Formats: sequence, C-alpha cells, structure tokens
Amino acid sequence: MRRVITGNQAVAYGVILSRVDLISAYPITPQTTIVEELSELIASGRLKTKFLKVESEHSAMAALIGASTGGVRCFTATSSHGLAYMHEMLHWASGARLPIVMVNVNRALGPPWNIWSDQSDSLSQRDTGWVQLYCENNQEVLDTILQAYRIAESVKLPVMVVLDAFVLSHTSEAVEIPTMDEVDKFLPPYCPEYPIDTQEPMAFSVIATPEHFFEFRYKIQKAMEQVPRVAKKVDDEFRSMFGRGYGAIEKYGKEEAEVLLMTSGTVTSTSRIVIQKLMQEGYSVAGIKIKRFRPFPDEEIYEAIKGTKKLAIIDRNLSAGVGGIFCQELRAALYPKETRPQIFGFISGLGGRDITPSLIEEAIQYTLDHDRPKEEILWLGLKR
Amino acid sequence: MPNQIHFSRASEMPDISVSRGDMEWNKTGSWRVQRPFYENKTSPCNEACPAGNDIVNFILKMRQGDFETAWRVIKDENPFPGVCGRVCFHPCESKCNRGHFDEPVAIHALERFVSDFAATLPKKMEKPTAKKREKIAIIGSGPAGMSCAYHLAKLHYGVNVFESFPSAGGILRMGIPSYRLPKDVLERELKEIEALGVEIRTGVSFGEHLRSEDLKEYPAIFIATGAHRSRGVEIPGERGRGVYSGLDFLKKINLRKKVRLGERIAIIGGGNTAIDVARSVRRMGKKVVILYRRSKEEMPAFEEEVTEAIEEGVKIRYLVNPIRIQQKESLKRLECLRMELGEKDESGRRRPVPIPNSNFFMEVDNAIIAAGEEIETSFLPRGIDKKDGIVLTHTGGRTGIEGVFAGGDLASNQRTVAHAIGSGKKAALAIDSYLKGNEVDKVIQLLLIGNGPSVSIFPYLHPGERMRSSHVVAFEELNMDYFEHSARQKGERLRGKACLKGYGEVTSTLIQSAALVESERCFGCGTCNECENCYLFCPDASILKRDETLSHQVDYDFCKGCGICFVECPRGAISLEEEAR
Repeated sequence: MRRVITGNQAVAYGVILSRVDLISAYPITPQTTIVEELSELIASGRLKTKFLKVESEHSAMAALIGASTGGVRCFTATSSHGLAYMHEMLHWASGARLPIVMVNVNRALGPPWNIWSDQSDSLSQRDTGWVQLYCENNQEVLDTILQAYRIAESVKLPVMVVLDAFVLSHTSEAVEIPTMDEVDKFLPPYCPEYPIDTQEPMAFSVIATPEHFFEFRYKIQKAMEQVPRVAKKVDDEFRSMFGRGYGAIEKYGKEEAEVLLMTSGTVTSTSRIVIQKLMQEGYSVAGIKIKRFRPFPDEEIYEAIKGTKKLAIIDRNLSAGVGGIFCQELRAALYPKETRPQIFGFISGLGGRDITPSLIEEAIQYTLDHDRPKEEILWLGLKR
Repeated sequence: MPNQIHFSRASEMPDISVSRGDMEWNKTGSWRVQRPFYENKTSPCNEACPAGNDIVNFILKMRQGDFETAWRVIKDENPFPGVCGRVCFHPCESKCNRGHFDEPVAIHALERFVSDFAATLPKKMEKPTAKKREKIAIIGSGPAGMSCAYHLAKLHYGVNVFESFPSAGGILRMGIPSYRLPKDVLERELKEIEALGVEIRTGVSFGEHLRSEDLKEYPAIFIATGAHRSRGVEIPGERGRGVYSGLDFLKKINLRKKVRLGERIAIIGGGNTAIDVARSVRRMGKKVVILYRRSKEEMPAFEEEVTEAIEEGVKIRYLVNPIRIQQKESLKRLECLRMELGEKDESGRRRPVPIPNSNFFMEVDNAIIAAGEEIETSFLPRGIDKKDGIVLTHTGGRTGIEGVFAGGDLASNQRTVAHAIGSGKKAALAIDSYLKGNEVDKVIQLLLIGNGPSVSIFPYLHPGERMRSSHVVAFEELNMDYFEHSARQKGERLRGKACLKGYGEVTSTLIQSAALVESERCFGCGTCNECENCYLFCPDASILKRDETLSHQVDYDFCKGCGICFVECPRGAISLEEEAR
C-alpha cells in the first residue's frame, strides 16, 4: 500500500507494524502528532497496544525500562528538552541492555526558545550507549523503525531513530507501507534473555562493585562493535524482502571525486540535487550520506573516501568550543589512517534555518577553491 | 551481603547485572526514624452529630451495598433514623469535609434512604433476652424519653414510659407537621422501640395521674417532658379571642382537631415553630404573614425551612414588632412598631430597637404567637434545681436528687430532635453506670466522639470493636488526588402550590441509584475502606495482607518509614509518629 503521509505518521506506521506492546510518551512539539496518532488508534480500539500516560519524559523512559525488562516490546518518542530530561534514564536503558526503540524528532534546545530542527538534542546524548540512526525521508523513517527493533533485540542495546523537525515530521511524502504479514516475517517477537518469573524471582540492575562494573561496560562496547555487522545483515535481509536498503552510509555522485560532501538527515536530499547540478557543470564532486552516527561508521567511510583530497562536512549542530559534532567524529575516525583528506567543517541551519541549495553550493565551491580551510569552523549562511 | 559470585573474566559474566538472591537479610526497618501505623480517626460529621450517629460507618456499609447493616449501624446509636433523616438540621453536613471540595455529602438524605429501605425488610429488631430485674421509669415519650428507653432496653432493663397525650412521640407527633414528618414513619420507629419490650402508658399525666411518690419502686427515673408552654410576648390583647399560641395550634392540627381560622393570619415570631405554623396555615388555604422583630440573619428558624415557606407563599415582614392586639368586631387590629438593629445582646445577635413614632396598624383575622417555648415546672419533684429556664443537670442528666435524671428540651436550650436523642442516650448510660456503681463522668468521658459533647454507646456495648481515635480529620489531612468533583444528589421536592394540597411530604426519599451515587461521594474521613493504596504504593512491600485482605499491619522489619502510605492514603486512616528509640 502506497500512501502520502507525514514523517510522524510514518513513525506511527512503523510502530504499529512492529507489534509494539507498550507505548509511553509525553507530548512535545514536533513529536506530538506521533503520540496523537498512536493514542487515538489505541483509544478507538483499533490498536491493541497499551498506552501509559506519564507526567514527564523521564517517567516515560522509566516505564519503558520496566516494561522492556519484563520482556515487552515498547516504544516512545520525544524531542529536544524532552530528550534532555530523559538523560539519566537513557544511561539506564543501555546499562540494563534493554532493546528499547525511541524516535527523536530533532529540535534545537532553548534558550532562546526554538521549536525548529537541529541535531543538538540527539547529539548531546551520544555518550549514553544508544545506537543512533538518522533518516533522510519518510520511507526511510518507517523502514528504519522496523530495522531498529531487529538490531536492538539482537545486540541488546537501545536504538534511537532520528528525523528532522517539520522538514520530515510534518511534511507529507509518498510512502510504501508493508503489510503486517510481510513485517511479521521480517521481525519475530521479542524474547528476553531473563524473562520475569514470579516463581523464580530475580533482582535486575543490582549493584556491581569495582570488581565487576568495568567488565559490564566492556561488554557494552563489545555489543556496540557488533552493530555494524548486525545492522548490515538486517539491512540486507530487509532489502531482499522489501526492495529497499540504506546501509550505514550511502555514496552518490562521481566515483573518484575531487571534493566529497558529507551530510546527514534531510540536508542530504538537497545535496543530491546540488551535486547532480555541479557534476553536469563538469565539477568532480560526490556526496556521502551518514545514516548511522553511533557507532560511527569509520571503516565504511574510509572505504568510500579513498583517493579523495578534500572532504566537506555540514553539521546542523554545534558543540560550543569545538564545532560540529559529526566533523569531530569524522576527524577522530580518520586520524589513525595513513592518508586522510583535508577536512572542511561547515556549520549551518541551526535552529531550523533552511540549508538551501545555494548555501550547499557555496560550501562545495569554497572547498574547491581552497587547499585547506581558512578557519577551524566555516559558518555557512551566518549573518556575521 | 552473602553469596556474591566472583567472575574472573568478562566472558563468564552475564550481560546484565541480576541477582537471584533475596533481601530478607537486609532488615531495612532499622533505618526508620518515623513509623506509620493504621489508626482509624473521627470524622467531622460523626463529631458534629448531636445524636452520636456513626455516619462514616453507615455510609461505608451503603457503599458496599449492605443497606441493612447500614441501618443497623445507625440504630446502634439512634432509634430514629427515619425521623432524623427528615427533620434533623444536619449539623454533620455543615462540618462535612466535602464542603471544602464541592458540596457536602447529603447525609440526611442517606439516613432517610437507609431507614425507608429497612422498613421494607421483614424482621429487623431482636428483642433482647435475659432481662434484668430493674425497671426504669421514663416521663415523656418524645425523642429524649424514647431514646433513653431504647438504649436502656438494649442494656437489658425493663422500661415503663409515661405519656400524658393519648399517643406516644411527644414533640415529634404534636409539634412537627406531617408534611415534614409523616406519622407512619414515626409510628414505625416507635414500634421498633416497643419491640424491645419497652412499655408505653399513654394518657398518664405526670403531676396529675402520676406523682413522684408513685415512682418510688423505680431505682431510677428519667424526666423528659420537653418544653411545651408557649412563651408569651406580653402585649395587651394576647389572650384575646382568636389569638392562639403556636405550639397549641400545631398540637390541634396534629390531633386533627378543628381550628377556626379567618382568611388573613399573622404569626408573631421567627423560630421553627413560627415557620411550621405558617406552612400549616398555608395548607389550609389562608394568607399568612410572619412578623419578626429582627432581620433575616438573626432568624433562629432553619434556613431551608424558611426558603421552602417563602416558596409556598408565606410572607415575612422583618423588623416589625406588634405591641398591641385590639379586637374590632371579628377582626384583630395589630399595632406594630418598626425596629432597627442596635448593639449585640447576650445571645450574640443584634438587639432590635424600636424606631420612635413608627407605629402602624395591620388588620388580620387571627394572630398566632410563636415566640418560643418554656418548660413546665409545676410537677417537678422538689430538690430539682432550675437555671436560665431549664432544669439544671450534671453529666448524663443527673439532677440534685439521687436516681432522678432529666434530659431533652427540659434540660437544654439546644432544642433540636438530635440533641434530645443524644441526651436520652447519655441518660441511659448514666443510669446504667449509676445502678452499677460506676462513676458517670468517667464512663461518659470515654465515650465522647472526637472532642464531644456527643457520645457513642457502641464501644460501651462492644469494647474493642470499630476502634477509632478522638483525632478529628481535617480537610487538609485528606488526599484530594483520589477524588473527583461530583454533584450532590437531591430527592424530588414538590414546589410552590403543589405543596399546599394536603399535608403530604414535601420532599421524597432518594431512589436507590441516587443514594449509591451519593454514598460514593463520602470521603470516609479517617476510616479505612480497604482501598489498598498503601499496599500498592509501599516501595518496601511492607504492607501486609492476610489472605486477600489488608491486615492493617505494617512489616516493621522492612518498613523504612518513608511515609508514602501515609501521604497516599486518601482518607487519613494511616498515622505517622516519630520512632521511639
């Protein structure tokens, strides 16, 4: 079935098709319509999922932690301040190795008050032990949720699926919606490793002294290291069943380009048009879309950029005092390599300002024109 | 911390930290600095009831759908739920904590419902077996006398009640019109008292047919002859033809005697008798004006009654004081003065002061004086002291004469049915204590509801049951998170002219569904109703159950004293005290 739906509706379809048993969420713009859509379906009796009302995002995640421990497949969605409020529970979810899937609709954090898209909310949670997957369009949103449960339940780590505020969340596109039967074949029911059994009581997440705590953390790192392999297997299987796949990254444009442009989220869609136009004008350019931020796809990127001299990256976020967060991760990933390109770190579109085709072209042009960046941070579209 | 497993490598470890051990070894109760405990407390309605009804418990029984037990709970304290459910001024509702939330629970309507429900049951009152020898004499079969008789009978005494009128009931029969209290309701509750073995001898007037000397054989006597003498207004012409006294007028109507009345009637006074007279006269199709010398705020009549009277067409003229009644052929010519309010008097109300030269005249066919009632003292045995117009009594109605007790309107200026019922109960307790040689004051003191002055007889008869502390639960001690606003249920009420056809009851009893809804509105202040919030909320699983029900025990081995149970109890039935160390 093909329908024209918003990104938030695509989320709801993904949740319904994943046969989620429990949803607990607190509304926040621009996530609200996800919860509205789902809660209305539940209230009308058409969706047999439990909806737990809570007074905060912290409680929403806490409720999911309890449910997931009990072997229940569960879901929440949030944005911005809501995600920040969950912070403590995000650590708990990964520390307890719970396969929770959450959608975060990217929105800037205030003040100044702002409800529009940037990535500073999800990227401030990069060290909480969650897998992070960024989406480019509504189809990818739906598909990524289905894949996320497979990955999460396989490596026992929570997964955050991320989409841009308004540009995706509230914008309609044609989306292919798989049938329940098809999804059931792809996504089997969740079986926890330690099911709750009142006949055999257990305490979960009990204290680990210095004698053991270290090793538990080591195991989380090892689980993260499995993600690239597991995610690839899941994506391949998905592609064979549904004809669509995404990879950890996607390269497009000229094969061995002089300049490569790296983007994430919806900026990629705009970049595809710009790259195509510049190629037609005879420039040696190509683009790379980064879908998976955590764990960062070091090897996939290194393979894709071989032979490239200059790499431009647009960050829709700012780690004040450093610069773009994707840029930092990229630099860290490439540093151990013998040959690495010159990196041009652009920051653009904070607080929802449009990253237009002309701005993207300006970034590529700057990279073509310079051997190395003149400044550590290149501000794109800033009114200086 | 026993049995910790030691791993030498990460690969041997599980992915998550789990424990199959238990925490029973960790007696967290030792951390406690405050201790929660179950303690049923007194509800403000219970404390406020002059008759000492266990309101909170009878409503709890109603909520459980057990109307018969609800009725028995009231009957434990008060033989007249059908009467009180209709005529009581319900001070319980004025004190109801729900009044701080939306509207008070309609307690009187629930009491009435329960009584009318019980009337449909086949056999209700059990005659007490194993009679004691002593027989007690009671003078007067009004609410005080019959309440005393009822409780004495339940305490296994024989009781002889002497009544001067041809039928029993006192003021309930003679003074209260049947549109407020149908005679069959009174009849049925009097019968229930008689069913306990109480013997009522009617047509026996104390001082006339019966003298104090005749009562020597009784080890104790309770005198409750009420206040039947109409207080005059001491103006010229008040004893003239066609001028009646209010209570006498009501007695005649209640005895179905003929009363000759013209078309325009003036009633002098502002108390409940004045209103009862006015509404009765309206039912005879006459025009009525009440003349009251103070303003509406000072009127002693119950507000509801006044409102209903006005709806029925009774006119009230405030700040008017008749000073002379002249006869003019068959007409009466009332000379009146206009009044204004001055300084407060000893009753706390503003004293009416005549406005000079404000005299005016009114022409009416009859005047009825209802300016209050006084007690009759002529027949009282010598040795009984009187003060401020009432018989002077000590706790439990003791008088200056050994073995003679007094109560009801005779010994009180709080002249309500509920107060009379309460005083009869206290007298029964006092008589039992006196005959057993116990100290009356001590006995009564232990039975006070909250801070008193009402008493409960239930713990006297059933020590250790339905225990509650005297602490009266304030609104602030309840947890309003667990209650939703809801409208107070009302019975049907005839309005306006429909009331005036005959002496039928003006208000109706709640239907069962409405009564259940109303009973659900009760917060149940201070009384555990097993809602199990404490059980659900306790983070230490320290609220213990026996089988499937709450045991009202806390597991102090593990209770850390966090106080969550205390906070989450909707009705203040859990207390918290500092841990004694």
